[in-house]
Amino acid sequence: MSAAEYLLELLCEEIPANALPAAREQLRAGFEAELREAALAEATVRTYSTVRRLVVHVAGLPEAQPDREEEVTGPSVKSAFAADGAPTPAAIGFAKGQGVSVDALRVVKGAKGEVIAATKLLPGRPLPDVLAEISVRVVRALHFPKTMRWGKGEHVFVRPLHNLLAVIGKRTFTTQVPVELFGVAASTATFGHRTMTPARIELSGAAGFDAYRERLRVAGVDIDPAGRRAVLEEAARRLAADVGCEIRPDPELLAELVELVEHPGVLRGAIAERFLQLPEEVLVTTLRHHQKCLVLTREGRVAPYFLAVCDRAGDPQGLIQRGNEWVAGARLTDAAFFFAQDRKAPLASRRAALGKVLVHQKLGTFARKAELVAELAAALAGSAGAAVDAGALARACELAKADLVTAMVGEFAELQGVIGGIYARLDGEPAAVWQAVYDQYTPAGLEGGLPRGPVAAVVGVADRLDTLAGLFAAGEIPSGSKDPFALRRAALAVVRICAEAPLACDLRAAVAEAVALRGGDGGAAAALVEFVRERVRHYLTAAAGVKPEVADAVLAARWGVVPDDVARARALEAVRGEEVFASLAVAFKRVRNMVGKSGEGRFAGALLKEKAERELLAALEKAEKEVERSLGRGGHEAGLRSLAALAAPLDAFFTDVLVICDDEAVKAARLALLARVEKLFLRLADVSRLSAQ
Amino acid sequence: MNLQELILSLSHFWSEHGCVVQQAYDIEVGAGTMHPETFLRVLGPEPYRVAYVQPSRRPADARFGENPFRFGKHLQMQVILKPSPDDVQELYLASLAALGIDPAVHDVRFEEDNWESPTLGAWGVGWQVLLDGMEITQFTYFQQAGGIELRPISAEITYGLERIAMFLQRKDNGFEMTWGGGLAYGKIRHQDEVELSRYAFDVADVEMLRRHFEDWEREAGRCLEQPEPLVIPGLEAALKMSHLFNLMDARGAVAVTERVALIGRVRKIAVRCAKAYVEQRERLEFPLGRCNGNGKPNGKGPGANRTGGNGGAR
Repeated sequence: MSAAEYLLELLCEEIPANALPAAREQLRAGFEAELREAALAEATVRTYSTVRRLVVHVAGLPEAQPDREEEVTGPSVKSAFAADGAPTPAAIGFAKGQGVSVDALRVVKGAKGEVIAATKLLPGRPLPDVLAEISVRVVRALHFPKTMRWGKGEHVFVRPLHNLLAVIGKRTFTTQVPVELFGVAASTATFGHRTMTPARIELSGAAGFDAYRERLRVAGVDIDPAGRRAVLEEAARRLAADVGCEIRPDPELLAELVELVEHPGVLRGAIAERFLQLPEEVLVTTLRHHQKCLVLTREGRVAPYFLAVCDRAGDPQGLIQRGNEWVAGARLTDAAFFFAQDRKAPLASRRAALGKVLVHQKLGTFARKAELVAELAAALAGSAGAAVDAGALARACELAKADLVTAMVGEFAELQGVIGGIYARLDGEPAAVWQAVYDQYTPAGLEGGLPRGPVAAVVGVADRLDTLAGLFAAGEIPSGSKDPFALRRAALAVVRICAEAPLACDLRAAVAEAVALRGGDGGAAAALVEFVRERVRHYLTAAAGVKPEVADAVLAARWGVVPDDVARARALEAVRGEEVFASLAVAFKRVRNMVGKSGEGRFAGALLKEKAERELLAALEKAEKEVERSLGRGGHEAGLRSLAALAAPLDAFFTDVLVICDDEAVKAARLALLARVEKLFLRLADVSRLSAQ
Repeated sequence: MNLQELILSLSHFWSEHGCVVQQAYDIEVGAGTMHPETFLRVLGPEPYRVAYVQPSRRPADARFGENPFRFGKHLQMQVILKPSPDDVQELYLASLAALGIDPAVHDVRFEEDNWESPTLGAWGVGWQVLLDGMEITQFTYFQQAGGIELRPISAEITYGLERIAMFLQRKDNGFEMTWGGGLAYGKIRHQDEVELSRYAFDVADVEMLRRHFEDWEREAGRCLEQPEPLVIPGLEAALKMSHLFNLMDARGAVAVTERVALIGRVRKIAVRCAKAYVEQRERLEFPLGRCNGNGKPNGKGPGANRTGGNGGAR
């Protein structure tokens, strides 16, 4: 049996680049599901697109849709057959309705008891009809970020549809598939590239999909994004190499450029050398943001060239290159103007204007924020255990937001922080200060690098904690998918900076301080503490590579000093597989239950006379010393193994000693012994969480 | 091609394609969209085609004439095609050809750029048109105006005239671009830019602006509360409010919290005007007719676009 293939192409006005990858995927998934449903599952579906086209190719179709069987249920057995077993009119009517004989009826179990059923034969239908229906359903079900109406306004789609190509055939396309979408009836033809080769291309009689693809290629259109990408990358590499340069890697932009064209054209333009005096970040952002240009580098420095895509082959008169160079020059002149304007006064002089700019309706101005962040940062630095230059810290807090009122940030919002850092550097601020300003927005959650140096780390944490505290105090607490201020990401960044900078401050105390500075109540503080704890847990499982139950065991003991939380979690993850930890978990669970139920008691070593309790006490005293020593040098694994040494004495204790005895003083002493055990364990982890899970 | 030849060519082109060639509105506006020939005409079922140049004021964009690309007042060529014809992109490309821009040797691309005006309760979907990497046109299918869902849909084509003239003349400085009559743009307009900047940033009397904002708001209300609402005077009052707001904003007198509220007050008037306009046209039994079944302007067969797009009685 030779296979048939189906080709569907929607030719539209230019479709937004960001909608195309998802549209291809939805088309593929939609067709696959529909073909399965239609008993055509063996066919393979491939989808393609250009900025103007959505293309579906279905290969390996049988000649016709196979016949299918469908079970239809009818009335209950009781009403279908009389007492003597003869079919009632209900059964006869049902059989007739389904086109089967009464003898062919079967009895099946329905939801409400036994019912009769008929197996109905669904004869296969002509493929063009089946595919036409499938095409309409799948295309209509496509979901786009934004849709529109046009003309008379009757239809809704991502952009107006102009031509619909739908053909099927074996080896050659022979039959038009009767699809109609958005007022456009299918034909057997399409059109080439709008400006290069706009002529009509007839596909009836063409040798299948490969012929379609080839004819479009000749007409200036490459329908395959992967193909366009390969051509673009190769051409870009060559153009860069011609001038001894490399392409500054930018996978995100490259992916977008691939979607912006029908033809993968790329050209190189030059920019005037004088623009190289602009800070590299400004240069790159201008070319990338406004002009979607790839930037070239030479020996790691930005070179005076760029690469731009164009939707056509070649540049017959050099006009496109000259145009792009003119625009890039214009944009850079603009940026240079902003830069020069901003540089007329030092960054510090802009602080006054921050008194007029609101952070958020409920958070007051940036001037107020700067004061609060400075206070919080000083407190954090005090508890962080790192050498933080107090003068640099105060200065960085003063300057951090000053760039928000510069012309450059007005034009390129994504340069905030970075440009402030550059201006501070040019103003002669010390490295610790300008780097703190420059790095204040990095990382975003788990993405991006860390701030450079302890001052920058403290500023990054203090700034985000203040925002979190202010919004929590104002009742703006994220819930479910609602997190308009990206507070989860901000809190995760706080945790990550603390973990990796590292900053050994107590986050719980810092949260309390931040909320108090923002005038929040205990409820807000408690909510934010819990919110931050969740982010610590997320960091442990997503970035530190520990299992959720290990994270829970560690955080249940205590938490807040993130580097310590991480160290304990990693250690527990490393040793938990050792055999002794299984019994330790069980024993510690008993300890916790006992102490939790009956209280801590009062410790009196002299009252502990039984062998098992004497031995437990001796083992405990030894473990206490060892744990102390281990933690002193960061040996969290060794500390955990010292705890493991208590497994056997604990087992013996619980076997031989009755804690709840008649002598109240002895009972109190035994409970107190267990409380000491508990206390020691909780310096590391609540290992009871590892049991029975 | 100098600036005035550009304007003449585009006006001629769109005149040939059935547009009424209107004049700029005689009230300060931020964009050609605010001209009643766009804002009101896109409402309701009546077909319409219009083109005009609108000086557009953006006080906050003014740069004392020091920035070669920024103007506090610039010129837009605004074209409305209602309903949007099937060949609207081809028509647009033909208008570029009329400027001597041959798509066969240039790179013309349509990149997604949607448009929204909170002040007018309007939004649309469309593109910025890039010519060899330069943004020369905003191209929008209006979906909503004055809070009203539109049907039929209008295509709006807005040419940034200074940009195009600079591009055609390869001038890096807008003030050096040739306007016409042997004069450069800067010789004609530079002093305005300096003075308008100084006024917008340093001199404008904020209290007066605020007072007038409220005066015009009341006046708009009075216009729209007439037994037969006065749509055009109402809209003119809203346009004045919008410009007063823009001046206050440039002057740095609008707090972030207040901003949304002030824009909301202008929008409220614009929305009332839109509603009153649709009701008025209905009472008048849609004098320009209704878009008929083939999506072409009323009363003409296929191909009529080239000569008499507006149809109906005028």
